Amino acid sequence: MSPTEAIPLLIVVLLMVSIGGGDVQELSVTFEGDTSVDALDDVHVVAGGTTTVPSDASVTGDVYVIGGTAAVEGTVDGDVTLLAGNLSVADGATVTGTVQTIGGESSVADGATVGRVSAFEAVTPSNSPAQRVAGFLVQFLVLGVAGWWLAGRHPVLLENVGAAITDHALVSGVVGSLAAATLLVLFVYMAFTIVLIPVSIVGLFAELLVVLYGQLAVGYLVGTRLPLENTRTATVAGVGLLLLGLEALGAVPYVGGLGQLGVAVVGLGAVLNTYFGLQTFEPVTIPGGAE
Amino acid sequence: MQFSEHVREHRWSTVFGYVLFVALMVAGYYYNITFVQLGLIDLGTRLVGMSETAVSAWMAALALCTLVVAVATGVTMDRRGWSTDLRTKLRLLLGVVCVQFVLTLVAPAVRTVPEFGAWILAASVGLGVGFPVSFSLAVDLVPAPDRGYVAAAITAIAYVAANAIPLSWSVDVFSRVMVAAMVPGLLALAVLASGHSDRTDAVLSDLAVQHREFGRGRFNHPEPVRARSAAFVVPVVLMFDVFFVDSLGFLRIIDTPTLLLSSWQSPALSTRLFIAAAHVVGAVMAGVIYTNFSLSRIFLWTFALFALTHVLYTSDLRLAAVFPSLTGGATSPLNPVFYAVAVSFYTTLNFALWPDLSTPGTVGTHSAIGIGVAGWLATFTSTALALYFQAVDLTLLSHLNVVQALSLLLLSGVAVGLYARRLVALARGDGGVAA
Repeated sequence: MSPTEAIPLLIVVLLMVSIGGGDVQELSVTFEGDTSVDALDDVHVVAGGTTTVPSDASVTGDVYVIGGTAAVEGTVDGDVTLLAGNLSVADGATVTGTVQTIGGESSVADGATVGRVSAFEAVTPSNSPAQRVAGFLVQFLVLGVAGWWLAGRHPVLLENVGAAITDHALVSGVVGSLAAATLLVLFVYMAFTIVLIPVSIVGLFAELLVVLYGQLAVGYLVGTRLPLENTRTATVAGVGLLLLGLEALGAVPYVGGLGQLGVAVVGLGAVLNTYFGLQTFEPVTIPGGAE
Repeated sequence: MQFSEHVREHRWSTVFGYVLFVALMVAGYYYNITFVQLGLIDLGTRLVGMSETAVSAWMAALALCTLVVAVATGVTMDRRGWSTDLRTKLRLLLGVVCVQFVLTLVAPAVRTVPEFGAWILAASVGLGVGFPVSFSLAVDLVPAPDRGYVAAAITAIAYVAANAIPLSWSVDVFSRVMVAAMVPGLLALAVLASGHSDRTDAVLSDLAVQHREFGRGRFNHPEPVRARSAAFVVPVVLMFDVFFVDSLGFLRIIDTPTLLLSSWQSPALSTRLFIAAAHVVGAVMAGVIYTNFSLSRIFLWTFALFALTHVLYTSDLRLAAVFPSLTGGATSPLNPVFYAVAVSFYTTLNFALWPDLSTPGTVGTHSAIGIGVAGWLATFTSTALALYFQAVDLTLLSHLNVVQALSLLLLSGVAVGLYARRLVALARGDGGVAA
């Protein structure tokens, strides 16, 4: 596993460790080769190769598997979490804590002693129409309420962002894609410093909120084209239509995804260019040339 | 964009002017980033047998000589009125291309250090005359409102050609390709510069008066920018910084096989195409931002992109230092992609900025100082510093760490400078001035 492949899952591990709140002094990672461990640091991450806890060994600490193979044949006094790769808990082995499978392939032998076995079922919206409808309704509810409030109390904000979207779509798209890409990378790398994990989480959440604000403005624009006189109602209806449109776009392979991404970055750029709608966006005027 | 209006209204001479400018600049820039920047290293080390340090020292001398010749040429152009004479500029350019053609042809035959030195001196004359002359064509051929997009087109085409066409970084290969490409270009330029045909003469006559309409750069309103004013000096200093940071980092990256072979010299065409696409995206973004925002905004984005790029590079290296078993592993494709976007940003800015800081009467001097000081002097100093780093055996991580520190410092410096300028303007009660 290369650093590039390891970084995202290592960050997930670090987040899980920090959320867990345990007193972690040392963390070790195995990237390749066959390793037999007789002792563990507070947290040991298996990112590649094969790591084995031999049958005659008893180790204390938590194990995270993000790649490669982990084989528990002895005793682990702690939790074992599988994010990717392979995990096997052999006959006669003991894990005092929880064996949690989030991703990858795990097998726990019948003769193994495990405190608790937990398997995380990833939410796959495409597999369940009911879940997709529920997700859509939650999104609609959140954006609809925000749209209702903004359109009633501060319509000028949505007008300004909307004008930047319609009149300067290219500029908004460029600024939005630049900001989205750079901020995303920045926040992910902030998380890797561990110290800045809270800032990273707040930053990513804030970025998501700005994207949603941009979508709200697009919904407002859709609403202005509907035959509804009440701005609030029109905005909510527009948001609903936009979300339906985005769902429909998602059904089109490749192009649909690009369309969804386009709406997100144009909205994001328009929000940033108008300072969240506090002012209209006017590009600079360049004099000269043929008049 | 005014280009579409010219097409709609069938102003074909003006449209031809756009195409001519893009073609000339793409050819010149492609020659610079391939043959001059990469071919000479191969010529010096492999064919002449010099050490990399000695070749770098000669490259620094090339940069310094080019700066001197460029400034002398630019000042002469303005004083003698050549800057506003399109035909003279095309003849000068024809002379430069002739010199470079001969130099490119004979380069693979260079075998001794004195020959190499003489080649460098002759090339610096060609390049020094060529830069201000070619940049000054913008005042004749491209109206100010379209310069950002035209600069983006030049950057995108040049970098797509440089990355997508799989050429070995060898002077023999570069020489063969360049000579083959220069022959038709040389003939076309000779026909154009001679003006013997009635049709070309008519087109030239149309283009020759356009500087009255197109020539005054974007930043010359209401008053023309003077070379000693802050409006000119500050962009020169900032561009120097950008060139310096880029050159200092890139010199080490291309000297590190693991980084080079997983990016610009990757055997996989898909990787190089990915980088080429990043250059195009970066150029288009830069063109849009240059045209629609103040100058400070594009400088901020450029510094931010460089800072982020070097954070990515150093983070990967730090990770590899903590886990040495990973040193031989693959490097992130994200790093060269961000690097490509950052490079496209400032290259686009460089093509548009100097004509926009000039009038037809000052474009020679301003282009020469701008490109000479920002481009060539920065290359000279960064090469000298890179040689020093090499002499003291600085590790890759320490070298790129210095580049990262510089780029972060510049980013914060520009941000603080802009804020302070606004603060001073408010304190004076004039509400601030847009750049």
